[in-house]
Amino acid sequence: MFKLFSNVWNQFKEYLVLLSLVLISLSILTQNNNPQVQKVRALAFGGFATVTSVFYDVFNITQLKNENQVLRKLNAEMMIQVSMLREYGILNRELKSMLGIKDTTSLPLLPATIVSKSLSITQNTITINAGSNEGIKPGMPVLSYRGLVGIIQTCSENFSIARTIKNVDLKLTVKNENKRLNGILKWDGEKLVIVDVPRTYDFDVGDRIVTSEISSIIPVPIPVGIVAKIEEDKTGLLNLIQIKPFEEVLSVENVFILMLVENAEKDNLELNFYNR
Amino acid sequence: MKIKYLIPLFVFVPVALIQLTVIPFVSIQGVVPNLLLITVVYFSISNGQIFGTVTGASYGLLFDLISGNLVGSNMLSLTVAGFIAGYFSGETRREKYLYTYSFTLVVFISALLNAMIFSFFSVMDFNTNFVQALFNHALLPSIYTSIVSILVVIIPYKRAFD
Repeated sequence: MFKLFSNVWNQFKEYLVLLSLVLISLSILTQNNNPQVQKVRALAFGGFATVTSVFYDVFNITQLKNENQVLRKLNAEMMIQVSMLREYGILNRELKSMLGIKDTTSLPLLPATIVSKSLSITQNTITINAGSNEGIKPGMPVLSYRGLVGIIQTCSENFSIARTIKNVDLKLTVKNENKRLNGILKWDGEKLVIVDVPRTYDFDVGDRIVTSEISSIIPVPIPVGIVAKIEEDKTGLLNLIQIKPFEEVLSVENVFILMLVENAEKDNLELNFYNR
Repeated sequence: MKIKYLIPLFVFVPVALIQLTVIPFVSIQGVVPNLLLITVVYFSISNGQIFGTVTGASYGLLFDLISGNLVGSNMLSLTVAGFIAGYFSGETRREKYLYTYSFTLVVFISALLNAMIFSFFSVMDFNTNFVQALFNHALLPSIYTSIVSILVVIIPYKRAFD
């Protein structure tokens, strides 16, 4: 018996090793949501991100000069916009008080820097230098001054990994800002698209797309991009709306984390409604 | 324990560091070369098929853990890539495939398979055009990776002349 196994091993050891490793990989693939796996991952990337952050800073310095120039120009433009917005703000407050509408609260933003990027065509992720010690939790939106960048996926004490909008595993509810039409946004590996949009929906090229308040992930409207192209899907019954994102994930360096997860009070209310 | 079994582990840290920090700066339209794959192919040709397969699996698993990818996706694709590259190993073939431009061809074949497997777990759905997906997700990254792998052949060759 032993001789038989020995013969089989000697003849097919390469294939046996391959087969066992493939089986291990497949079983790990099915365990991605297992808390133990999440814990090991948080420990691993937390440890490695400490080294990566130092290394990334060194390479980033060369890009800072160009970025500063762009930011100075943007700052000047923003200053004019802020001035205009102040005017609108005063008017808005007055009108709201006249109508008796409850005012919205300011949103808590935490600034952070990207310390590494794992780029592939389908699964883009970024590692940022803020973690659970700063109060970050999975599900919080990551944004830049241009728009949405991604969603926090996992946190260690000092670092977090976020799925960017160019990650096939991230699907978001978005809406057309002007026409108030909702849809599901996803990255199909080549482009950002709003899928399964009825052909009767009135989307136009150039329309602004923001996250929808009905999203179970992002509770506030954050700019995502503009409609770049409208095409039929393969069935011919629905449209695919191609979106050009405001923020280019490849070039973003500094981000903000919106320290909000979807409103617990709203969740409870909705759950109570469903449980009735 | 033979030191050759530990070398890939020591090499992993700087290679992964470069892959996550420097490589994003040289991406073309989101397409990046895969340095881990080049390293796995190198070890596979120089040390044999089993060594390459195990190195691929370890590199893939470690990279999945530190990069936030679907855990197991890189492990599976790099395991197969290491195994395929191992076919070009062997006493007589090692010199031919490791120190000549044939190395880039081996990298290209392995990268193509690696990218195809990796993409399979990520993007295939009803609306995907299979040929276009194959071109964008597998062919372009494989070409870029094999171009970068030329450095593995050129640098030691130039140094020998200097």
